[in-house]
Parts: sequence; C-alpha cells; structure tokens
Amino acid sequence: MIEFVINGKNIQAQPKTTILQAALANGIYIPHLCWDRRLLPYGGCRLCLVEVEGMHKFLASCSTPVKAGMIIHTETPKLEKARRTVLELLLVHHPLDCPVCDKAGECDLQDLAFKYGPVASRFADERKHEPESTAAPLIERNANRCILCGKCVRICKEHQGVGALNLIGRGFKTKVSPAFEETLDCEFCGQCVDACPVGALGTKSYKFRSRVWFMDEQENICPYCSVGCTSVLSLRDGQILRARGKDGVGISKGDLCPRGRFGFDFIESEHRLSTPLLRKEGKLEPASWQEALEFTARRLAEIKEAHGPRAIGALGSERCSVEDNYMLKKFMVLSLGSKNVDSRTRLGYAKQVEALKKTFGISRLALDLDAPLKADVIFVLESDLTSTHPVYGLKALAAHRDLKATLIVADPRESKLSRWSSQWLRIRPATGVALVNGIMSALIEADLFDKKAEAVKGFDELKKTLERYKPSAAAVMAGVSELDIRHAASALAAAKNPMFMACFGSSENTKGEGTALALMDLAILLGRGPEALGLPPEFANTMGTQMVLEGGETGLDAVEMLYGGQMKALVIMGENPVVTFPDTTRVMNTLGGLELLVVQDIMMTATAKLAHVVLPASGWGEKEGTFVGMTGKPQKIVKCLSEIGQGIPDWKILRNLGRLMHTDLDAKSFAGLSASALADIEQRQETAHPVFIPVEQETRESADGGHPLLFATGNLMQHSGSLTTISNNLDSAAPDAYLQINPSDADARRIYNDSFVKVSGRNGEAIYLKARVTDEVPQGMVFAPAHFAHAKVNLLTLPSKNGEAPIAAVKVDPA
Amino acid sequence: MTRYLLDVVENRSIGEYERAGGYQGLGKALSMEPGQVIEEVKKSGLRGRGGAGFPTGMKWMFAAGDPKSPKYIACNADEGEPGTFKDKAILDENPHLLIEGMAIAGHALKAELGYIYLRGEYLKEKDILETAISQARASGYLGENIMGSGKRFDVHVHLGAGAYICGEETALIDSLEGKRGQPRLKPPFPVNSGLWGSPTIVNNVETLANLPFIVREGAGRYVRIGDPGCPGNKLFPVSGHVERPGVYELPMGTTLREIIYEHAGGIKNGKTLKAVIPGGISAPVLPPGLIDCPMDFVSVQKQGSMLGSGGVMVFDEDTCIVRVAHRALEFFERESCGKCTPCREGTGWLRGILERIETRQGREGDIRLLEDVSKNITGNTFCPLGDGAAAAVLGFLMHFREEFAEHIKNGCPFGPDDLNPYHYNPVQP
Repeated sequence: MIEFVINGKNIQAQPKTTILQAALANGIYIPHLCWDRRLLPYGGCRLCLVEVEGMHKFLASCSTPVKAGMIIHTETPKLEKARRTVLELLLVHHPLDCPVCDKAGECDLQDLAFKYGPVASRFADERKHEPESTAAPLIERNANRCILCGKCVRICKEHQGVGALNLIGRGFKTKVSPAFEETLDCEFCGQCVDACPVGALGTKSYKFRSRVWFMDEQENICPYCSVGCTSVLSLRDGQILRARGKDGVGISKGDLCPRGRFGFDFIESEHRLSTPLLRKEGKLEPASWQEALEFTARRLAEIKEAHGPRAIGALGSERCSVEDNYMLKKFMVLSLGSKNVDSRTRLGYAKQVEALKKTFGISRLALDLDAPLKADVIFVLESDLTSTHPVYGLKALAAHRDLKATLIVADPRESKLSRWSSQWLRIRPATGVALVNGIMSALIEADLFDKKAEAVKGFDELKKTLERYKPSAAAVMAGVSELDIRHAASALAAAKNPMFMACFGSSENTKGEGTALALMDLAILLGRGPEALGLPPEFANTMGTQMVLEGGETGLDAVEMLYGGQMKALVIMGENPVVTFPDTTRVMNTLGGLELLVVQDIMMTATAKLAHVVLPASGWGEKEGTFVGMTGKPQKIVKCLSEIGQGIPDWKILRNLGRLMHTDLDAKSFAGLSASALADIEQRQETAHPVFIPVEQETRESADGGHPLLFATGNLMQHSGSLTTISNNLDSAAPDAYLQINPSDADARRIYNDSFVKVSGRNGEAIYLKARVTDEVPQGMVFAPAHFAHAKVNLLTLPSKNGEAPIAAVKVDPA
Repeated sequence: MTRYLLDVVENRSIGEYERAGGYQGLGKALSMEPGQVIEEVKKSGLRGRGGAGFPTGMKWMFAAGDPKSPKYIACNADEGEPGTFKDKAILDENPHLLIEGMAIAGHALKAELGYIYLRGEYLKEKDILETAISQARASGYLGENIMGSGKRFDVHVHLGAGAYICGEETALIDSLEGKRGQPRLKPPFPVNSGLWGSPTIVNNVETLANLPFIVREGAGRYVRIGDPGCPGNKLFPVSGHVERPGVYELPMGTTLREIIYEHAGGIKNGKTLKAVIPGGISAPVLPPGLIDCPMDFVSVQKQGSMLGSGGVMVFDEDTCIVRVAHRALEFFERESCGKCTPCREGTGWLRGILERIETRQGREGDIRLLEDVSKNITGNTFCPLGDGAAAAVLGFLMHFREEFAEHIKNGCPFGPDDLNPYHYNPVQP
C-alpha cells in the first residue's frame, strides 16, 4: 500500500493506482471528461489536472500513478483557472443547443460548465456546421457537439474489440467517424452512446422523446442471455423510453450489448396478445378468460380420461420466470398427474448438464462473470461467445488483450474471439470432439497431463479411445495441422489456470453432448475441476427453468414429446417450437395432430396460430419474477410496466386453470409462490467427483456429392432466440436472415453477394435465403442465423439430445 | 575546423564514402562489445539533435538495460518544423552516414532492425535512402552478416503521411505501427515500451550521423569539438533574410552573430536585423540584442529560448512580427493532433486573435488575452506541441509587445509585400 495525501486527507492505495482513481475511491471528485474505468488512461481532456507539491507543472490525475508521500491538491485557485480555461476552450465551438439536446440534464460538459464555467466567453468563433449522421440504424452522431474526448472510439476499440469508430482528420478538424466517413456499420452495442459525456452520440429510439428530468429510472435484469446484466430503464408515462448501462450497477457493472440496450421495445410490439383466443369453427376468435379457461380445463380432463395423463405434456420456457415454470410443473403434476414437463433446454443447455452429471456428478455450474480474467489460458470451443453472451465473451477478450492470457479459439467460423485470438484452430464444422481428443492424445503422448488423472475412473478407457485420435489422425478429422494440435496442447499444459469455454445453445447444431463430455475430459486430464469450465446457459432463465423442470421425477422430455408422436395434448408456455425447434415439418405434424394445443404467450407466434386456445401472458417488465442466470444466483426481475390488455402472468394463468380443475396449487400470493419455488431449487449442495467419459467424434450427417455443404445454424449478437425479432430497434440493426457462404463455394455455384439461394436438405425440404459471400465461413460450410421465423431455417435442421452433433448436410443453388 | 557531417562525399556513392573513412566506425564498433559502444557514446557527451538535447548515451543505456527483446532502432527523419532542413542535408548529401550510424546503434543495442521514419514530403530522399540502403546491403554493411561479424542488422524506410506530430517520438511509433499518429502516454517511455511494445530508441538523423565519427575517432577527440558541455558539430539550417541561406555545419556553441553575419553572409540587401528565431518555429524569438548568444542547449535556454533543431530564421526590419506570429500559429493549429483540449482548441484561439490584430480588428486587452491563453496552455498539454505554440506567442509578446499594441491601435504599418514570403498577407476584411 502506498500512502499519500489528497487535499489534506491521508489516503492509501495499491501501487499503480492513478491519482484520479484514488481520489474518486475516497469521495474526492476531480472533474474529468475522457476518463473511463474500463479504458486505458488517455489524458486528452486536461480537466483532471491536479497540483502535486514539488512538481513544476500540473499533472493529469487520470494518467499519473500515485507515489508514496505525494501531497496532492485537487482544488486550488490556479487549478480552477486552468480548468476554467479548458472549459472555455471546449465551449468556444460547442453549440449551445442544450434546449434541444437529449443529453441536457445529464451532460458532463453542462454540469462542469455550471460548476466552473465562465459566464461570458472571451472568444467567439464560427461553430461547427457538420451535418448529423443519421443514416445508420439505432445510433446517431452529432459531430458539432463532440468534444473529442475519444471515449466512444476507445470503448469501441479497447473494450469491445471492434474499432468501428475512429478519430479522423487532425487538430481542430478532427472528428469521430467510421473509416472513410462511411455509414456506421457495427455491432450496435451502443456502448459508445453511454460513454459519450455530451450529446454527440445518441440513440434513434430516444431522440426527442423526453427531457431526462421527467423520467423515472428502474433497474431490471435484461431478459435475453444468461449473463444477467442490469439494464437501467428510463420510464415515462408507463413506457420504457431507453435502456442504459450504468457504471458499477449490477454484475455487468454498466456494460450492455445490443440486446440489453436496444431490445426492450419488444414489449410494446404490435404483435402482443391482448385477449384470450379460442378456436371456433377453425378460426381463433377472441374469448373471455372464463370461456377460454373453462374450455381448456374441460378438454384437458377429457383427454386425461380418454388417453391417460401420459398423453398430456407441457413445455416451459427459458424466457419465463422460475415461478412460472415452477407453477407449470406443479399444475401438470397436481392437476393432471403428468410428469411430462420439459423445455427447449433439452436441445441445448441440457447437453452440458447431462455431461456434467456423467463426468463430475453435479448438475449445475455456477459461473463467475469475471472468471476469464483470472485465467492464463482460455480455450474456446466452437462458440461465438461474444455474440451469444456478449458481456461474458468480452471478459475472454479482455483477459487476452489486457492481461495477456493465451486465447485459443477452435471454430470454423470467424468470430470476434478468433480475430483476437493467440491461436485460431480453424477446424471443420462439428469436429470439436476430434480436436479435443487429439489435444488429449497429444497431452498423454508428451506426458504433459496431470498425474492425478491416472487415478480417475475411466482413465484407461479414455486412453484406449484416444488411440484412435493420435494428433496426426485427429488433425485429419478436424482439418487442422498436427502441429497446431500439439501447440494448443502444450499451451494448455503450461497453464496455471486454464479455462474451457463453450456455449451449448439450442439453435447451435455443431455441438452435441459429446462435445461437452470431451471438453470436461480435457479439464479432468489437466487436473481441473468444474471451476475451470466456462459453459454459460443460453437464456436469462435457462438455468432456473432447467432446475425447476428437472427437479423431482420427470416423464417424457421435449424431444420425445415433440418428435415421439405419443402426445394428445400439449400446454406450451412461452415457447415457439414451430420456429425454434429443429425439423419444423415434424414439429408441425406433431402439433397439428394434437387433440388439444394450449399456448400461453405474450405474442401471436407461429405456434399459437396452430393452437386451440391461446392465453395472453404478461411479459418481462410487466410482472415480478426470478431469473437464474449463469451465476446460479437468483436475480429478481421487477414489474415496472402495466400489463397489456387482459394479459396476466403465466403463473396466474396456471393457478386459475388449476382452480378450475379443483386442485389447490398453493399460490395465494406471488411472494409465497416465489419462496417455495426458490426453496425448491436452492437446496442442492453438490460436490464434484470426476470420471472420464471417453467420446467418439460423431455427427448426424456428413457432406457428400449430393449435399456437399454442412449447414450450421446459430446466433447473432443482435438477436436472442426469436423473441428479439419483434423488437423494432434490433430489427433495424439486423433485419433479415442470410446464408454465409465461402467465396470459393459461391463462385463454384455462381452465387453472388445478396443474391437469393435455395438451400435444400436431405429431408427434401428447401429454404430460400439471401447469400452473404464471406470468408467468415470456411469452404464446405454454410451458416444461417436461426432467429427469423420467416426464414424457416429449422426446416433443414435435425433434433438431437445425445452425443452427436446434429449438423445437417445441404445443397445450395442459386434461386 | 573538422567537418564530418556534410561536405565529405562528392556524389553520395558508397565508394566515395568508404574512401573518406566511411563504415570504419561500424567496423570498429563491431569489434567492440555492445556495452563498450554505449560507454563510448556516453563519454562523448553527445546530446540528441532533434530538439530536446537528451543525452544519447543515457537513452541507449535505458534501452539496453531493459531485458525485453527484440529491440528496435527508429530514426526520426520526420523533419517537419518550419525553419528546419538540416536532416534533409544529410539525407541528400551523405545518406551512408545515417545508415552507418544506425548500424552502430543496432550493434550497441543488440537490435536487428531499424526503421527510418521519413517525412512524407521527402520523396526524393526516400529514393536516395533506398539506393544507399541497397548499396550498403550489397557491400555487407547491412543484412544477415554485417562486415563478417555474424551480426544481423537491416534498415527499412517508412514514409510518413505529412503530420508534424509524428516527429514526436511516441506518435512516430504509433504511426510506424500503422495507427493514427498521436502521442502516447509516458511512462512507459519508448526505451522500455516502444515499437510493438519492445524497447526502442528513437534518435534524430543528425544524432545518428554523429556516431560514425565518435566511434571511429573516439570520444576523446569528439569532446574537444565545440562546447565542452555539449560537444560536437551542429547543423544550422539558416533561412530568411540572409544573403546565403543554407545548412552550415559548425561547432556547437558558435554564436548566432557568427552564423548570421559570417557564414550566412549577413542580412539581405543591406537591411538590418529585426528578429531571429534560433531553433525552429517553436523556439521563442530573440531580438538583435541577444545574438551574441552561443548556440548550444544551455546558453540559448538562458536567453529564454531554445536551441531546438538549430533552425535559424532571420527576419529583417521590414518584417511584420504579427504576421510572423500569425503564420506560426497557423502552422501549430493545423498540426495539432487534436488529442488534448488546450492544444487543439487553444492554438486555433491564439491564431484567431492574432488574425484579428493583424486585420485591424484587434481589441483592447487582446495582448493580455494572448498571454493569458498561452500561459494556460503552457504545461497543461499532453505533449510539447502545445507548449511550443504558447512559447512562440509569449516570445513574440515579450520582445515585440509595442508592435502588437501599435497594430491594435493603428493597424498594420507594413504594406503588403508579395516578394517576401514572411510578409504574409492575410485576407483583408
């Protein structure tokens, strides 16, 4: 600890702390405009100057580390003079358009001008007359208000790893702009907007909507991925006008991705349901709650009577709260006597849970968002984490870039992580198992593994399996060089604190349970426990849903229910299998053949259109509840909006249905329900006991002459499942599906960028997509995002809940 | 008088250079341990010729002491300051001197690669350098096994894109890395974390060109040249109203008077001297009364100016000082990189006030305002560029305050004069 004095106060700080950090930590405010906790010191604004006794000039406190015995003054007449001059200089050209600037009221420059600023300007000059840049979606730039602090540029480059904005021009003519003054085309995370201390950057959706002092602020947990960032909502007249990250708030401490910052408007979509709907003479017609629920209760009872409770199933949702899913399970068990309750987690997250159970004997991982920052080698397997879990993915990036951790990315697709990686193993699609087996084989061959592993059950079987995955053989299977495999193996072996990261998303078809098993075997072989695994669940409440629905005895799972052909009735809560489940044709057949399909949802989905009864539910922000994200800790979501139409929370719908079926589901109040739901999931205490489970490289389909390309599906950073496609904001940034195809594959088929292509699968189905010719995918692979209902991508995909990766082989032709 | 920088070689050919003793310094250096070479440079008392006058040996010692490798040699040939064209003379007339100097530095620092960051406008010099480099490679002075020593060293020429700020060593490194040239935060200094994060020494062309002589003739002989506190020869590019403008190689400590009146032939057309800027545009101006000042780092500083690059700019009695100041600030405004507020906005403000003074729109109190703004820029900017701009203005005000006052009161007394480049003719209102 270093001791020094600021303004007569004795202060201690760690070495390398800057004067500004030490001052702020001790409640001493030093004005600053270009400093940000997340960024390297820049020293540009020159407002944070301080006086240090014995120094002949002022020092910029943002970039000067404290030294023992320093005597620092932050407010002296001379400093005030210097700051006043800096502000005066900034205000010479800053437009005084505060009356129409959305930043007014929370503008750092305005506040500082109020504190220090001169009453009159000693110099007047022509102000800038740059046109506003409004061509890009979501984000607008007003160069006239820019004070060139460079925070937006640096947050984009240093923190997000993108570099879409830069300073161009020199001196007074400097401006913030994309390269060559093109239209901004970026991830649209909007971090730059939050970072801007003035009104030079703003969001389209908030522009001219309100003065800041008329809005209420409400913190809420983001409803999208499992990171569980806190989104700070600004509300006015019962409407969310904007969402921001606020420094230090929530586990994300102010970081947000495009979804968290712009995706809130799905809640006011025109597709929202406002009344119950009942199918009458083949058409869904508005009905009263009583009518709809009485019909549902009667039909469920009849079907149970006729076919037995096993013919009735339910799907919960990773979007719904713990309480909603808990109630669904309770309703099914108590009111209908059926244990057939599952969710889409079966196709994604459950793969890693099953693998965890087999290898470590535990059923969940509680992840630390900052764990990657403590790792010295990070291995990412076929996962675009900065897209699926943007704020978590950034930690891997930061670990590599700022803390010099080795980042090894094994992925056929180019991603932000692969671009920044130390080693990019561009494997063939869905060959993660072969690669990991090859790495393990190299470790054993070079005797680099942890000797404790020899005593782990299954070690001999593993060795036997790995015989077939000698680095030379694995290299051929995975399509990388043997040297690459050995290189990765020795990097991992040398690691003091390695981390293994992957995401098992339900729409990603390049990984199976086998992939998770292989990754876990690798961790065990290096003497690591589950704490070295960075496998985040997919959505905001994926872990909560899985824990609730898998608690106690279970019946048929989602794959058996939807593809098994035994169901007579299904209750689907907040899920849209027609769009989000693989093999749409079979899903449609199953759903179409049901005697009763009940859908509870916030909007009219493709699945709801097939239902006999559609029940309107309240969405995120309109109800209380709990999400369990990747940290494994319950996070409360709050109600800050009123319900739309006759919508009520899902748990209430089920409670009411239970009452009609004369079962007491014990849910008199939300608080009581929440307490019992959480008690149910929080009791587990698990200890890990490692076992090796050797796995073979398997894929569902491989490419051949007729279907020569492997069709991978997955996620975009701007979307989350199919929910975000009703967000107008996100839709403007990423409006349409496309097919990424390698230039050589495209050339061979005379496919051009932006032309339409026909993608046909082995199952005889075909879809039409716009081609995006890019080397982000390797030769032999095509990729399509799975979010868009209209693209019908899942017509070509295959369901899988077991070891093999469900990737499909397709043929692509010009359309 | 010994000359060793200029006028040595007739036609830039490597043969001529060798005959004049060229590359013997490198040969001698290679026979020495790297540490001995650094010691020799320290003993020579060589101070950097780029402007700041930092002891070269000490800079090298810092870089050599950093355990990181590889190390790089960066030659600062981004000579962009008005009034400065000394490096150009070396590049034009004696490029092998620089190459030899870099190779010596490479050996001393155990670096295998050197970059010459060349001013964007020096296209002719780029050709000269590249020819010289390929000659040196062919003769075994650069490349895999230099002079049979088993050591590697090579030099690349990197052309800048026309920004004065890239002459600042950290901005130069950023630019060399392909980034926007903006000064970096110091510490870490380039000697510890420079090009690609490796220890890097950034030395001026003239500094490096001193090395062959120092190594060949020994530090003992070198310290006897010029000023004992700051030995060696210095190139003085003299421009403006003199009879014989040009680059003069003279011992450090030669007086301004000798430079102007003996070497440059005195003031043109028999006029009298009004002002002289002794070291490039960021050095404050000196009045005729101070020209007996010896031109070395310490003496010039005592007179309230600085030796800087040694670029002597001479102004005769017909020169309007306000125009000179305005022209100087136009330069600083245009060349400010835009990173920090005082420099970016302040240089424009100063230029604006000077413009209104020159165009008879000056106001009561403008002189005080110039002073106040300049003083609030001084010491508060990120790098010395802003300081230089402020110092220039304060220098003009210190010695020519009445002329500014006269301008504000009665307008500019000097008529337009298109023949004289220093008689800048601003747009009339």
